[in-house]
Amino acid sequence: MKSFFRMSYPYILWIALFIVAPMLMILLYAVTRSGNGTITFHFTLENFARFLSDPTFLKVLWTSLRIALITTVVCILIGYPAALFIANLPEKRQTLMILLLTLPMWINMLLKTYAWRGILMNFEIESEIKVFIGMVYDFLPYMIIQIHTAIAKLDRELLTAAYDLGANRGKAFLKVTLPLSVPGIISGITLVFLPAVSSFVIPKLLGGGNYVLIGNLIETYFLVAGDWNFGSAISLIMALIIIGSMYLTKKLDTGAEEE
Amino acid sequence: MKKILICLALCLCLLPLGATAEFDAASFAGATLNVYNWGEYVDMSVIRAFEKEYNVKVNYKTFGSNEELYIQTKAEESWDVMVPSDYMIERLIKEGKLQPIDKKIVDNLDQLAEGVRNLGFDPDNTYSVPYFWQTVGIVYDTTEIPREEMEAQGWEAFRNPAYAGHAYMYDSSRDAFMVAEKALGYSANTTDEAEIEAANAWLQDMHRNLKPSYVTDEVIDSMAEGLKWMALVYSGDAAYILSENEDMAYCTPYQGTNVAVDAMVIPANAKNPELANVFIRYMLGYEASLANSTEVGYASANAQALAELSGPGGEYEGNEAYLPRMGYEKDEVFVDLPAEWQSRQPDLWERIKIQ
Repeated sequence: MKSFFRMSYPYILWIALFIVAPMLMILLYAVTRSGNGTITFHFTLENFARFLSDPTFLKVLWTSLRIALITTVVCILIGYPAALFIANLPEKRQTLMILLLTLPMWINMLLKTYAWRGILMNFEIESEIKVFIGMVYDFLPYMIIQIHTAIAKLDRELLTAAYDLGANRGKAFLKVTLPLSVPGIISGITLVFLPAVSSFVIPKLLGGGNYVLIGNLIETYFLVAGDWNFGSAISLIMALIIIGSMYLTKKLDTGAEEE
Repeated sequence: MKKILICLALCLCLLPLGATAEFDAASFAGATLNVYNWGEYVDMSVIRAFEKEYNVKVNYKTFGSNEELYIQTKAEESWDVMVPSDYMIERLIKEGKLQPIDKKIVDNLDQLAEGVRNLGFDPDNTYSVPYFWQTVGIVYDTTEIPREEMEAQGWEAFRNPAYAGHAYMYDSSRDAFMVAEKALGYSANTTDEAEIEAANAWLQDMHRNLKPSYVTDEVIDSMAEGLKWMALVYSGDAAYILSENEDMAYCTPYQGTNVAVDAMVIPANAKNPELANVFIRYMLGYEASLANSTEVGYASANAQALAELSGPGGEYEGNEAYLPRMGYEKDEVFVDLPAEWQSRQPDLWERIKIQ
């Protein structure tokens, strides 16, 4: 056991160097004022106050959350029936379908988005709809695969039992399949919602430059304004939201399993 | 006597040779030169030719904004040649981050075009040698907006509700404020509180009336395809758009605009300053300038290349965007804003866009 633990040292070092250390730097920047010396720090919470007390910034936060939320809901609405359909196919076909689903994931996300830009350019649709088309397209496979895994490992005997007890197909689905596939939906949400909140390339490219999202804000304050303290504070708020929603979905997940 | 005369004649013949730059080309063999330039800003065959001629390796990397470059100057990595813009060069000089150009090596400064001589940020080229230069203006579709209509409005076109939803605005706080300040008759380098307030209100008007799409480099292809009626662009990009789409025209607003100059500099911590000077001399030369400007479409800093490309039979003959407006008194080069404004302008700009 101990020797196995040793094998993880490179990984721990990696995490410490490239994940934990930068996060601590962000934390340090976020709670200090600019003009830090090497030894002296001016600790302050005003970076957070500045963000939270300003309606314009809260509006940006809300737009980011709204886009992520709608994307997630649409992904479930399309993804669930698709996953159900795939799960009911013969085993060999299922593998093929899943392979087909994952194929586009091998292509760089930027390339796919530029392709969509070219396609959607010719249509007169609201730019917001274009953003959702791009977002759902990009994230849908994650949702389908998660739900499919949950449904596929479901014990078929349970359905047979439900039919024996007089349930029709609809009732069997509602009482058996759906509740048992909730963990799949939840891990699907984690995989779609979290990256969607912080995504800003797709809205930027497909939204025709009409969206300022939280990712854009962070970029601006770091690279253009050179205000690393405020930029870090926004990043940290963002991180907190993500950790918070992970905690919530986790809770939902365990809650569902206990039922 | 005759011998002396022959000697003199020989000396005279050698004079042009003697006057050439003082360096030993052979001494660079195997060296590596780190060059940091804007994206899509060079004809790579020029770089390859330089490598071949001096038997060196050029490590060529690109950046997207002056601010990105500025962060690099704080980093450990050292560059031999960088190509920042006017106001950033001013800041780097102020902070002592540049070393003087060796004019014994860069002996061809007399080839600089008139428009890039005696520039405010470095009047006698102590630290910088211009590379490309340009104005900021409006590319517009003449089938949608007649020429006279655009010329008469200048920057005010960006507040004209008649073009709502048909415009691109370049997503850069410094350029956006320049537009507003020039439209209002102020200096593009103002730090006057009341003038900034007025410019901010002007831009809020723009956001409400014009509903522009905020874009960066994607504006080039989009305008070449004619997706919208008008866009704020740099003249170098405009030259490309005009050559791709004949309906497009370029307006340098009568209210005055920003003349932007990107110049080659040598950071104080350069590892190979001598070779850097040789490189700068090479890039300013006629042949390299001609090739680069032909490829990229930005106005060359080399007078001869500039005249040839914009003149009869040149690559950009009749392209009104290629040759920047010269000697117009309302045109200005950016100066480095005080630190407070460097962070406040982007902040105001984000708020305008979020509204």
